Amino acid sequence: MHLAPWFWFAVVVLVCWGIVGLLQKLSTNHLSAEWALIWLVVGFLILQPWLYPGNVLLTYSSRSLLWALLSGVFNALGAWALLAALKSGGKASVVSPFTALYPLVVVLVAPLILHESINLLQGVGVVCALAAVVLLST
Amino acid sequence: MPMPAVLKAKWFWYSLLCVLCWGGWALCSKLGSNEIPARTMQFIFTFGALPVAVLLLILKRFQFENSPIGIFYGTANGVLSGIGGLALFAAYRSGGNTSVITAATALYPMITVLLAISILRERLTWLQVLGLGFAAAAIIIFSL
Repeated sequence: MHLAPWFWFAVVVLVCWGIVGLLQKLSTNHLSAEWALIWLVVGFLILQPWLYPGNVLLTYSSRSLLWALLSGVFNALGAWALLAALKSGGKASVVSPFTALYPLVVVLVAPLILHESINLLQGVGVVCALAAVVLLST
Repeated sequence: MPMPAVLKAKWFWYSLLCVLCWGGWALCSKLGSNEIPARTMQFIFTFGALPVAVLLLILKRFQFENSPIGIFYGTANGVLSGIGGLALFAAYRSGGNTSVITAATALYPMITVLLAISILRERLTWLQVLGLGFAAAAIIIFSL
């Protein structure tokens, strides 16, 4: 069986973030959403010495660097909103799947920004995702 | 027409905000990953997240919340999020379809839900179970 190159990376994402979903709820049991986010960023910072790329950092285009920075801004804002959702009474088993429907935004916007098209099957997926949001929110 | 109860729940609106922000995050991640390798992406990404943490620190007026267990969970959350993010940047950089990779990696709540039910003893209504089924179907379809 041939697996796409991205498959094993996706498995690592699933395992790490699956556990993260639980840790988010556990952290907001003891901390405010704001402090839970602050410590989450401290967790990011712990990895920085290992990730430090050296001078090569200056060779990338300013546009790509800006996308990377914006990626961090949006992720942190989203993570804070998720932690606030958990803190304000949302169940981990409902909030986590609900917020994981962000690919819907990507599917809708990707054709415009990335020029990647969406087919009929993906259209069915969009409908399923919308149904899921409504049902999970009951 | 009466407003559905969920629309009055704060968690619903916070969750919606999260979906919009993370949609933006995924797109920016793909655009950055076209040129920048995964490790460097995660390195720069953290400097994007840092101002948000500082802003929240100011909003909380630097009032420290002393909960060692909360701090442990929060920091572990960041480390695992960072490793997961690194793998996501690598997946985007490998050249697959952005929508497919984003949707496939968004399957992670299935693991969270199993952990939440077994460890946190949370209960789901049958409608929410049906919702999980639709979410799984959507993610699988996106991955085809």
